[in-house]
Amino acid sequence: MLDNILSILVFFPAIAAIFGFAVAKDSIRAYGVAVAFIEFALSLLLWFSFDSSVSGMQFMEMVPLVPAFGINYILGVDGISLFIVILASFFTMIGIASLGETKNVKNMIISLLFLQMTMAGVFVALDAIVFYVFWELSLVPMLYIIGAWGGPLRIYASVKFFLYTFTGSLIMLVGMLFMAYFYYQATGTWSFAFLEWYRLILPETFQLWLFGAFFIGFAIKVPMFPFHTWLPYAHGQAPTIGSVILAAILLKMGTYAFIRLSLPMFPDASVFFMFPIAIIAIIMIIYTAMVAYAQEDIKQVVAYSSISHMGVIILGTFALNVEGITGSVFLMIAHGVVSGALFLLVGVIYDRRHTKMMAEFGGLASVMPRYATIFGIMLMASVGLPLTINFVGEFLSLLGFYQQSHILTLLAGIAIIVGAIYMLSAYKKMFFGEVTNEENRNLPDVNKRELVALVPLVLITVWLGVYPKPLLDPISNSVKSVVQLMHDKAISEEAKTRIPNLMDGVTRVKETN
Amino acid sequence: MELLLYTALFAPLVGSLFAALFGASPKTLVTGVVTSLLLGVSLVASTILLIFVITSGQFVHVEMMTWITAGDLYIPFGFIVDQISVTMMMVVTLVSTVVHVYAIGYMDHDKGFNRFFSWLSAFVFSMMVLVMSDNFAGLFIGWEGVGLCSWGLIGFWYQKESATWAANEAFIMNRIADLGMLIGIFLIYWNTGTLQYHEAFAAMPALENATLVWIGIFLFVGAMGKSAQFPLHTWLADAMEGPTPVSALIHAATMVTAGVYLVIRSHELYALIPNVGLFIASLGAFVAIFAASMALVNRDIKRVIAYSTLSQLGYMFVAAGLGAYWVALFHLMAHAFFKALLFLGAGNVMHAMDSELDPFKMGGLGKKMKATMIMMTLASVALAGIYPFAGFFSKDLILEAAFVEQHYIIYTVLLLTAGLTAFYSFRIIALIFHGEERYKLFGFHPHEAYKFMLVAMSPLLLLAIIAGSFKLSYFEMVTNLLPAIEYHIHHPLTYWVITLGTQLFVIAAIFFAYKKYMSKSIKVPDGTSVMEKSFFYKLLINQYYIPRFYEEYLVKPYRELSCVFWKHVDQKVVDATVDGIANVIYRTGENSREMQSGNLSTMLKWMVAGLVALLSLAVVFGLATRHSDKIMLILSGLGV
Amino acid sequence: MMEIGLNHYLVLSTILFSIGLVGVMRRKNLLMLFFATEILLNSVNISFAAISHFYGDLTGQMFAFFVIAIAASEVAVGLGLLIVWHKRHNAIDLDLMSTMKG
Repeated sequence: MLDNILSILVFFPAIAAIFGFAVAKDSIRAYGVAVAFIEFALSLLLWFSFDSSVSGMQFMEMVPLVPAFGINYILGVDGISLFIVILASFFTMIGIASLGETKNVKNMIISLLFLQMTMAGVFVALDAIVFYVFWELSLVPMLYIIGAWGGPLRIYASVKFFLYTFTGSLIMLVGMLFMAYFYYQATGTWSFAFLEWYRLILPETFQLWLFGAFFIGFAIKVPMFPFHTWLPYAHGQAPTIGSVILAAILLKMGTYAFIRLSLPMFPDASVFFMFPIAIIAIIMIIYTAMVAYAQEDIKQVVAYSSISHMGVIILGTFALNVEGITGSVFLMIAHGVVSGALFLLVGVIYDRRHTKMMAEFGGLASVMPRYATIFGIMLMASVGLPLTINFVGEFLSLLGFYQQSHILTLLAGIAIIVGAIYMLSAYKKMFFGEVTNEENRNLPDVNKRELVALVPLVLITVWLGVYPKPLLDPISNSVKSVVQLMHDKAISEEAKTRIPNLMDGVTRVKETN
Repeated sequence: MELLLYTALFAPLVGSLFAALFGASPKTLVTGVVTSLLLGVSLVASTILLIFVITSGQFVHVEMMTWITAGDLYIPFGFIVDQISVTMMMVVTLVSTVVHVYAIGYMDHDKGFNRFFSWLSAFVFSMMVLVMSDNFAGLFIGWEGVGLCSWGLIGFWYQKESATWAANEAFIMNRIADLGMLIGIFLIYWNTGTLQYHEAFAAMPALENATLVWIGIFLFVGAMGKSAQFPLHTWLADAMEGPTPVSALIHAATMVTAGVYLVIRSHELYALIPNVGLFIASLGAFVAIFAASMALVNRDIKRVIAYSTLSQLGYMFVAAGLGAYWVALFHLMAHAFFKALLFLGAGNVMHAMDSELDPFKMGGLGKKMKATMIMMTLASVALAGIYPFAGFFSKDLILEAAFVEQHYIIYTVLLLTAGLTAFYSFRIIALIFHGEERYKLFGFHPHEAYKFMLVAMSPLLLLAIIAGSFKLSYFEMVTNLLPAIEYHIHHPLTYWVITLGTQLFVIAAIFFAYKKYMSKSIKVPDGTSVMEKSFFYKLLINQYYIPRFYEEYLVKPYRELSCVFWKHVDQKVVDATVDGIANVIYRTGENSREMQSGNLSTMLKWMVAGLVALLSLAVVFGLATRHSDKIMLILSGLGV
Repeated sequence: MMEIGLNHYLVLSTILFSIGLVGVMRRKNLLMLFFATEILLNSVNISFAAISHFYGDLTGQMFAFFVIAIAASEVAVGLGLLIVWHKRHNAIDLDLMSTMKG
């Protein structure tokens, strides 16, 4: 069974979802939790059997699909994708378990299970067409979730989300087709497999164009400034579970794709675009933090804070060294946990008061102390307090990029200041002060169903903040092989100097500013 | 020995977690008792470790577990008990235990009693991590941890808008400084390959001077935030919103000294860059007199003591900046004792006066609160630096060091500040405890604090008096690690003139303060007196208008810029562009729809137009292929 | 007397074609549209026949027969539909026939 565990992980939720149509409405919740729990258990089994010392792909499967064009069904997992897969199944599980009052809950759970399939598929796919199929398919359940259960502007938000991301993906598809064509020209055979594409060394101009094409597709997904405006609407209108999954997993597809595709295939282009992208990342960090500060709706604060954190992730990725990329992958996991928890927390108060405007709250700490405590812990995690999971990722990402540019890292480090400003201000508006609004006086504190989702997230935040080693080791190993591959493939002088050569035994290169 | 280290380190954490279990419940005395007991355990462990370090001269070094590994980076949770850290441990655990016991009485009627002790013990744990870590990353963990606990404790009475505002201000200001520290840490890693103190400092002499200067500057920026050096000083005075035990512990003895600790710990670095050290010393001297000037006129007893702390921190940085690290540490220790005592005494006064802070509304309290009066007076004497109290040995040493190193400007500034310190300290004493009993006009019924609180304060009193006698044994111990520079003014006549002169100057200031503020004609200032209208008074009482400057020119513009970014840039520019593109496509579709008018005649016209267009294209292409070589000639002639 | 060559027939055909084209574009009366269509088709017939005669290839004239046959059947059906429409709406103005609006 272990040989095909990845296929099982990908397709089991979808098959279960199809059977779910036959399940009676009263037992659909139990069914959904059971399926998600099995999926999570399978992902833990995957982790347990994963060998951390191997840096390449494990559990690979291959089934030919269209041999004439080299399109095969190839799956594989390594340190970079392993934990995102586990995180996806974890969030599906706690998301379904903590679903509140939802009309048509059967449709919701089936959509979530389909979504789980597409998410798992994206992160383990090693063939471009398979990757693209899962990438696009993930849009459909999300479109449905936002469109059917969302707020007043839900149709606008979901259509905007779909079309915007879809357009970017089409440009990415064109890039993929070009890449396959170049591969055919260079080797005489067609192939869409990533591992084979890694071996191809492209001339610089081709790299630049292809990097640009892929960049559009990924940048819209991340979302990077200025392609980010779909996110506040999507989050603002989506139901709680939609926002949680969107922020925790779907946003990671973009940043993951940078590391899986752009960096190893186009090392010279990555170095060439490093500074412009770093500037965009810094704008993302500071600008969206300031916009978050100006918001009146707590969910929008969290939405913009997501974009701010993704800026740090991008910066870590384009540090192009082991510390930076490891930090950015770890921060992906960390951000997933913390953002997911924050959206769940917003959902808690929304369920009670059916409003998300902070002006309606105030003084909640005395009414709902447990809620205030959990929110406070997640707030501090989001701000990057040491011994929480975010700090490890941010520290490594910034440390990594420091090697490439001191000044830009200093600017990016302002993230810790602006992050504190908007988060503390929002917390103060919601929790501190006297209870001014009568409706807030008798709100019930967090109940068991909500705690089922929140407590594990708090525990993970602290546990991985104190002891991140079980994750850092496999991630670091796989990242080392990516960085080494980049260094070996690089053809321009600048790339050779900026990407460290790990064979020397050090990951540091001479200071270049 | 390792067990003792872990006990000292983790006992406060256990206490904090224990108290947190009761966080949402009403007051249970056992939380206060258990946390205080656990701190006592930590104190005992620290004392045993102190004796061990003194007698054997060895360190206790443990590596608890790996924290972060990525690439070449290796950061463990490691702890070291050496002469520097054991001194800090003693100070922290001693003052914390006293404050915990005191707080059992002070927070007696508070609804958040349990939550208070949880935060307070968590703070002590963070501080212990800070001083006991053996690498910069561990230091940073403790650094941010004390920032967090300080936020929770300043904003402890969270229903008060002013308290939560002050808490946020403290956290954010500290964060600004923390960015500097983080950059310093990055610099250290990329230049030395490690964050462990021992190895990093060993590698530093090999680095370029410019790099070392940057590291020194950035680390000091971090220290500036925690130790509230100008211009990141406004949070300290506002932090007085927190309960008084918090002020005593955090803002007198421990957290604010973290910056000084950092400089002392990094003495091997700062010894290599004496110019940066001189800058630190100069800034410290400036802060000393700057803060003292603001304390002269303030009408809030806690703020006066806070400014006094700020001023003394300036003294410590002068010492550290001039290379007299052991002197700075000594003053840190002595200051912790008498300053904490002062704060706790002020807490007694506040408790008696129903949280009133204006000393002009007090007066003559000495009759009702003898014990507190004695304690605060003696603490102020120690602060003023009168022989044979602790302050004399530590403060005078700093003055001597400045004199000997021939930094006469710094010496003069510090001397003046000493006078000012004596004046404002005794101004408060005189206004509160002596003179007319003005409080009767306002209907207060003061009473002395609980006996056990006074008992808890007494160790601090004792140490404030006798700590000076520890100087020699302390010197012997700590100079195993720190440079052993003795500051002797060689000419005995100069020495006696300076020392006696300083003492006389200070005593004169004390008498002046007593005379002015004990007189019967003191009444509550109401804004009409000549002094209150004078320019200098207004300048000082408004803290040189710096908080208002920050509010007008930093906070407000930031808020407005954020709103502009949201409403005008994000919504009107970025999003509008996206929607605009969508709209263009939409409208093109709408307009093209006109083609499907259902009118045969129009459609026929379109057909003809299309036909003509395609035919023309075909003709053009045909001609082009027929004459392609001629066309290439023309194009190349045009330079395409 | 000038020799009537192929070019003359082609010019005639072009003129007739453009007359027909303009008619197709401008006529609002359905019956007149049919007239214009006939002119178009017949102009093409002329050029087919002329080219076939001048190049000695009978294919052109065969094609012309096809075109005549198609034209006739098209007119037959078209006129039938026109009469039905006229019976129903009492007008054959193109601008009034817009039920197929998109």
